[in-house]
Amino acid sequence: MISSLERVPIDLLHWFLGLVGSFGVPAWILAIVSALIIIGTIIGVFLGLFALTSVMERKILARVQNRYGPNRAGPFGLFQPIADGIKMITKEDLVPRTADWIVHLLAPVVMMVPALMVLAIIPYGRDMVPVELDAGILYFFAVGAGTEVAVFMAGWGSNNKYSVLGAMRAIAQMISYELPLVISAIVTAMIAGSLSPSAIVAAQGGGGFVPQWFILTPWGFTAGLIFYICALAESNRSPFDLPEGESELVAGHLTEYSGFKYATFFMAEYVGMFAICGMFVTLFLGGWQAPLPFLDIVPSWCWFFGKVCFVAFTMIWVRATLPRLRIDHLLAFAWKFLLPMSFAAFLSAACWHYAGRGPLAWILSLAIVGIPYLILGNAFTNRFAVSRRTYLFSE
Amino acid sequence: MMCDFLKTCCADPMKLIGEWFVILPAVILLLAAAASVVMRNLIHAALLLTLSFIALGVVFIALGAEFVGFVQLLVYVGAVAMVIVFAILLTKPDQLTKSRNMLSGFAPAAGVAVAFASLAALLGFIFSSPLAKKPLPATASAPVAAIGEALMGDYVIALIVLGILLTAALVGAAVIAMEDKP
Repeated sequence: MISSLERVPIDLLHWFLGLVGSFGVPAWILAIVSALIIIGTIIGVFLGLFALTSVMERKILARVQNRYGPNRAGPFGLFQPIADGIKMITKEDLVPRTADWIVHLLAPVVMMVPALMVLAIIPYGRDMVPVELDAGILYFFAVGAGTEVAVFMAGWGSNNKYSVLGAMRAIAQMISYELPLVISAIVTAMIAGSLSPSAIVAAQGGGGFVPQWFILTPWGFTAGLIFYICALAESNRSPFDLPEGESELVAGHLTEYSGFKYATFFMAEYVGMFAICGMFVTLFLGGWQAPLPFLDIVPSWCWFFGKVCFVAFTMIWVRATLPRLRIDHLLAFAWKFLLPMSFAAFLSAACWHYAGRGPLAWILSLAIVGIPYLILGNAFTNRFAVSRRTYLFSE
Repeated sequence: MMCDFLKTCCADPMKLIGEWFVILPAVILLLAAAASVVMRNLIHAALLLTLSFIALGVVFIALGAEFVGFVQLLVYVGAVAMVIVFAILLTKPDQLTKSRNMLSGFAPAAGVAVAFASLAALLGFIFSSPLAKKPLPATASAPVAAIGEALMGDYVIALIVLGILLTAALVGAAVIAMEDKP
């Protein structure tokens, strides 16, 4: 049974286009109007989510740390984003005298563009994918590569050594974590037999009582966990937030930004976080599919945004719980643990497919993922065993 | 003349827009590439080169070669541009200002000559290859699935050889970067 609310967004769009079309507007203008409405809706929804999260994150962090959090602006502090927005706009926009002002000005803009562009290929619900691309996954990562350029521009344009250091760290981290991220995403494309996000969601549908989501298989669980960790690193979130590490780098590439430029960075980071959460949901958590067949009475887009909000919540939870990593541990973790594990997940998925996806496949793929995990995990814990830190230059 | 132009616009505006999606990024590509050659500030030159990479990717996508366009963005913007930028940052700052001395004497003329010679050689190879004599396909699009099948079918040996080469390069880089055991 499919909910009657299921097609409400699509029906609204068609009704509006029909209304406009009845005035004799040519078809090509209608096409442009339709595209603009879809773009406006997506940007509006995600900026609304950003505003909500900026207050919810502080609330959740406060709850974990046993304090109140923002509670002055409006009921339960819910108007905090509005107060923050007004504060950001009215702040002075400082540009350092020695900064390269063009690069400094363009960096937040360049940061925002990929964060918004990647939203185009995510399937938000049944038949609700804004741009249907055969190579949607590839598009997601190709456009996402622009973020690194923006971070570099911000770091270098500020003409500040802490900014450059932060940007170098951020780029090293993003390039390192992009590899396992892409490989773990490709695993799902391999099983679904397509690079299109809607086909990957469709491949996780059907089945009986147990959902056929990819995260519920041995290889999918491994790849999903790797994807999640790399998503944290790609969006520069804790425990991988050391490009910004305020205690050591005074916010890295954001040091010299103030006012609305800083807000743009902040916004781009959160929208990027939601985009990558959406990708995680699409690839591993069944996209807009309901977990159980009878739960189809809830519209598919509600399921999608519910799952995205849940994944974003776990990211905030992680931020409240885990301390920041050291840069050498961070890079070693990416290259020496995540990368081999993503290859293992890749191999495991191939075996799962060719062993017929039955009980034998389960045992095989579990073994292929489990044995490297035990070996690598052991080696890793021995290598980085907690010992007394020795200082080279101070005693 | 102008009237005809407007008529074609109104008859098939989508086609016109489609053409501009090729022309505009191509113009940006040429301007950015030219500017990155003459720019004195090396970081600005690198960023303009990145812009030209992006514009080239957009040209590919607008021409229907989605896969090539996305890979262009992923590899060149995500990796090559960053390698260039890192290389610039790791050089000494006084070398950045000295590089303007290169713009005197025979150097520019020699550079232009080399550029045109290599362009001529490339064009010669392209037009003498048997592929140039094949008729153009009716539809100018390359579906990703077809590219995948070609890579896994006809060109699988080349793909494997490239994979081995890149793996060897990766292992080599790791060996060079490895800490020496005392």
